[in-house]
Formats: sequence, C-alpha cells, structure tokens
Amino acid sequence: MKYIVETKGLCKSYGNKQVVRNVDLKVPKGCVYGFMGPNGAGKSTTLKMLLGLIKASSGKAEIAGKEMNQKNRLEILRETGSLIESPSYYGHLTGRENLEIVRTLKNAPEKEVDQVLKLVRIERQQNKKAREYSLGMKQRLGLAAALIGRPELLILDEPTNGLDPAGIQEIRELICELPKRMGITVLVSSHLLSEMDQMADYVGIINHGQLIFQDKLDALHEHSKSKLLLRVMNRTVTLKILENNGVEGRVTEEGILIPGFSDDRTAALVSALAEGGAGLYRIEERQKSLEDIFLSLTGRRESL
Amino acid sequence: MLREWKTEWMKLRRRKVGMLLLAFLGFTGLWCAWVLSDADPEDLIDGYRWVFANLSMINTILLPTMIAMMASRICDMEIKGNTLKLICTMEKKGRLFDMKVLTGGLYLVLYVAAELALLYLGGLAYGFGNPIQLRHVLYFAIQNVPVSLVLYLLQMMLSFWFENQIIPLAAGIFGSFIGLFSWFFSDTNLFRWIFVWGHYSLLHFIGNTWDEETRIVTYYNVEPNWAALCLVLAVLIGGYLVSKYLFVRKEI
Repeated sequence: MKYIVETKGLCKSYGNKQVVRNVDLKVPKGCVYGFMGPNGAGKSTTLKMLLGLIKASSGKAEIAGKEMNQKNRLEILRETGSLIESPSYYGHLTGRENLEIVRTLKNAPEKEVDQVLKLVRIERQQNKKAREYSLGMKQRLGLAAALIGRPELLILDEPTNGLDPAGIQEIRELICELPKRMGITVLVSSHLLSEMDQMADYVGIINHGQLIFQDKLDALHEHSKSKLLLRVMNRTVTLKILENNGVEGRVTEEGILIPGFSDDRTAALVSALAEGGAGLYRIEERQKSLEDIFLSLTGRRESL
Repeated sequence: MLREWKTEWMKLRRRKVGMLLLAFLGFTGLWCAWVLSDADPEDLIDGYRWVFANLSMINTILLPTMIAMMASRICDMEIKGNTLKLICTMEKKGRLFDMKVLTGGLYLVLYVAAELALLYLGGLAYGFGNPIQLRHVLYFAIQNVPVSLVLYLLQMMLSFWFENQIIPLAAGIFGSFIGLFSWFFSDTNLFRWIFVWGHYSLLHFIGNTWDEETRIVTYYNVEPNWAALCLVLAVLIGGYLVSKYLFVRKEI
C-alpha cells in the first residue's frame, strides 16, 4: 500500500516528559485518516511535528515518500495544506486578502482564490474583514487557505472545534468530499468519535503519546463483536444450562451477558433455556459502540 | 525572497504604519517650529546647526515610543491571528524574521530621510543663512538609524513575545524617559553607555555652551563618538543574531 504519510519512531519530549512516544503513523493515499485520542494525548504535537512546526526529539517523518528535514521541509509542505487548532487569519484584512497572502506565498494561480472561496462557501463574505467573521466562517477561511495550491495532503487538527451542529455537518461533508472530488488525502484529528465514524476510512488512536491502534475503521468496528443479554427469572438455573451447553455467561445488573452466536445456535440455546425452566422473558442484542471500543483501548473515561 | 517581501506589505494593508510615522513627523515639525519661534535673526543664520541640535533631543524623546508603536503594528498581527503556524509552513521562520526587520528598517530610514527633507525645507522657509552641511546630514543619519534599529529589534521581540501590547508600549515610553535623562549626563557617564536609549545622546555631533549671564546658547560642532558608534553597531549585530536565534528557536 502507498502511504502519503509515514512516520517511524516519532518521539517528542519536553524535559523529562515524553509527550509523543515512538509513533509509527501510516496514512494511505487518497483516504480520510482519522487521528483520534483524548485531549492531551499528543495529537496536535504529532501533527505539528509532521509540519515541522516543532522539532521531533527522535524518529523520522516521510511525506509523499520524502523524508522531511529542515532543508526540504518547505518544498515538501508545498504539497500540503494545514489547519492546526484554531484558524489562522489576519483580522484587519478581508477573507480574500488573507487568501491572497497564502496564494502569493504558495505561488499558486490567481483563480485558485475564487475556487476555494466557492468550495468553502464564503464567496459572499470575501470582502468582509476576517475579524468580523463568525467562528464557523473563520474555520472555513482556514480550510480555504489550506486548500490553496491544490495540496495532495491536508492536515486538519480538530477542524470542527467550536462550531455549531450545522457548521460541523458542513465541514464534515466538505472533508468527505475532498478525496473523491480532488484526490486529496485528509489527515484529520478529533476527540469526537461520532465524527470519525462518519468521516474516516482509516483510524489511528493515540493515548498518552502512544499509537495504540491503527487500521481501517471497519477493523475497529470488528472489535465490537455483539453480545446477547438474557433477561431471566432464574439466574442460577440459567447459568447451569449455559455451562452445560459450553457457553460462558457473565452476570450483570441487567441480566446475563453471553457472546453472540449464529442464528441456529441462538435458537437452540433459547430452546434449552425454555425447557430447563430458566424463565427467559427477553433477549437483547448488545453492540459495543465505537465509544466503548475507544474507552476499552484507552482506558480513559474522564476526558471524553 | 520577493514573494515574502511582497506578502509583508500585503499584511501591512490598513495597519496605518505610514500614518503613524507621518503623525510623529508632523509633531516633530511643530516642535521644531516652536523652538525656532524663540530664535533671533542672528540665530537663524546658523539655523541648521541650531535645529540639528534640538532635533537630536526631540528624536531621543519621540523615537522610542514611535518605534514601539510601529513594531507592534508590524508584528502583533502574527500573534493575535495565530498566523505563525500557517505562515511557517510556507516560509522559513528566519526569513519571516528578516522580512520584519527589513520592513521596519525601511520605515525608519524613510523617517530619518523625511526628517532631513523637512529640516532642509524648513531652512529654506525660515531663510537660514548658512547652508546645510553634508557632514551634519551624515552624522544625523549615523546618530539616528543604527540606534533606532537596535530599539526596533528590541521592540519586535517584545511584540512577538507578549500578546498584550501594553508591555512593549510601556517599554517604549520608559525608553523615551531614559533617553531624555541621558542628555543630562556626560559622555563618560555609564548611564549613557548602559541603556540603548541613551545611545542617541552618546552619538551627538553638536555641542552647546550656555552663558548664564547673557542667557545665550552657543552651538558648535563636535566629532561624533566613534567608539560609541562601534558599540552601537556591535549591539545591533549582536542583537540581530540573538533575537533571530530566539525567534527561530521558539516553538509554535
């Protein structure tokens, strides 16, 4: 598989504190890669290291197959757009003037300003000063700036932070469109799992500076094998019957939790429970949510 | 490099830096006019020397505050708008720093040139007897440009470091007072040497004597303190290298 971003043993320390530890990111070309993790997990630091805004303590980063160093950093980043944390803008300039600065620095054609203004839908507000924009509009202006120069890779750090639900939906749709419409690979970070579930093709999960999961989103969902919750009148009898049928049951407050089976085996088990006097009155299928998987991987509940 | 230079000027649109400098120039002109209003016809014969001596002191008072305001207008937009994390993916940090230095430096050179032009025109209008001396023009530039550049570097760093621009502005006003006090000391006094704002007075090129009985001030030429100029240039080069190093090293 061709990776547009590949890091090997990327580390960052501040004094004795290691904030990013041996991160091996692999971002396939042409996808939306969701970089997830609780607040303070090391997402922004990792992304800033990819952009050369902060220096890695050790390890290396390759973008589009080229290992990045101080000499070739800007040349590599010419093919990259970024929006890190809050949007960057010159408040005293209009939206268009802000984009003109980026266009000049990237040496992009003049028409691109109009194109990106249209793409992020702020062409009507282009002559308004950026400081008068709402947060959503500023975020869209930041996205427009990142898109100038038709980058191959877009690095977005929490792009929906502070937006209202409509704004979140709009940005999300825009991000999903980019790989298909313009062939751009999007590396987007977020601590919102629902957001990643709707946008990402691949996900990486970082916690305490370590990458603890990296694969397709589907693979993450496979972690959530369904379970069956049995609600019964007689728990002792039920456990005995389950044991006789080679099924491991776990007693919870709500009932007895057993692993999910095929339809045939479930039917057979239900018959056995009914005949054995378990008093079975309800069966519920329990699917692990992405949030549950995330929490079981990171072991953190407080930051979500 | 031209692209980066062009974008610096694009960023300065609506920042009214030129207006700020014009306001200070106008105020300086009015101050000089007020000084000349006291002059006798005999004083006006040697009017250029008279004005050069006063203008040096006026600049010592006004320039630190003006430079603080100018540096703030050139630099604070990068901090307020969180733009460094965007700009530094397209432009080398060191190059951005150099562009800011060059922009401010150009403004300062133009300001000193405008002062000289104003002085010359004022001389024609008032009918100064003796012609303007080229060496006075040169010494005036040597006195004002390097010291102002040192102050600009200092103010730039303060404006980049503090989001609240009151701190750099306060430093500028503080500098104006230090500069003014430095005129009360002799060249051998450490006060003039230690504080960069005092270096304007250290590089003076016109001396004066005050006769208490006749209440007459006599202005005369003095050779600029070349050792002091060497110090100023060393501080300028050292200051540039240190501030650029700190700016580039600072993580975003």
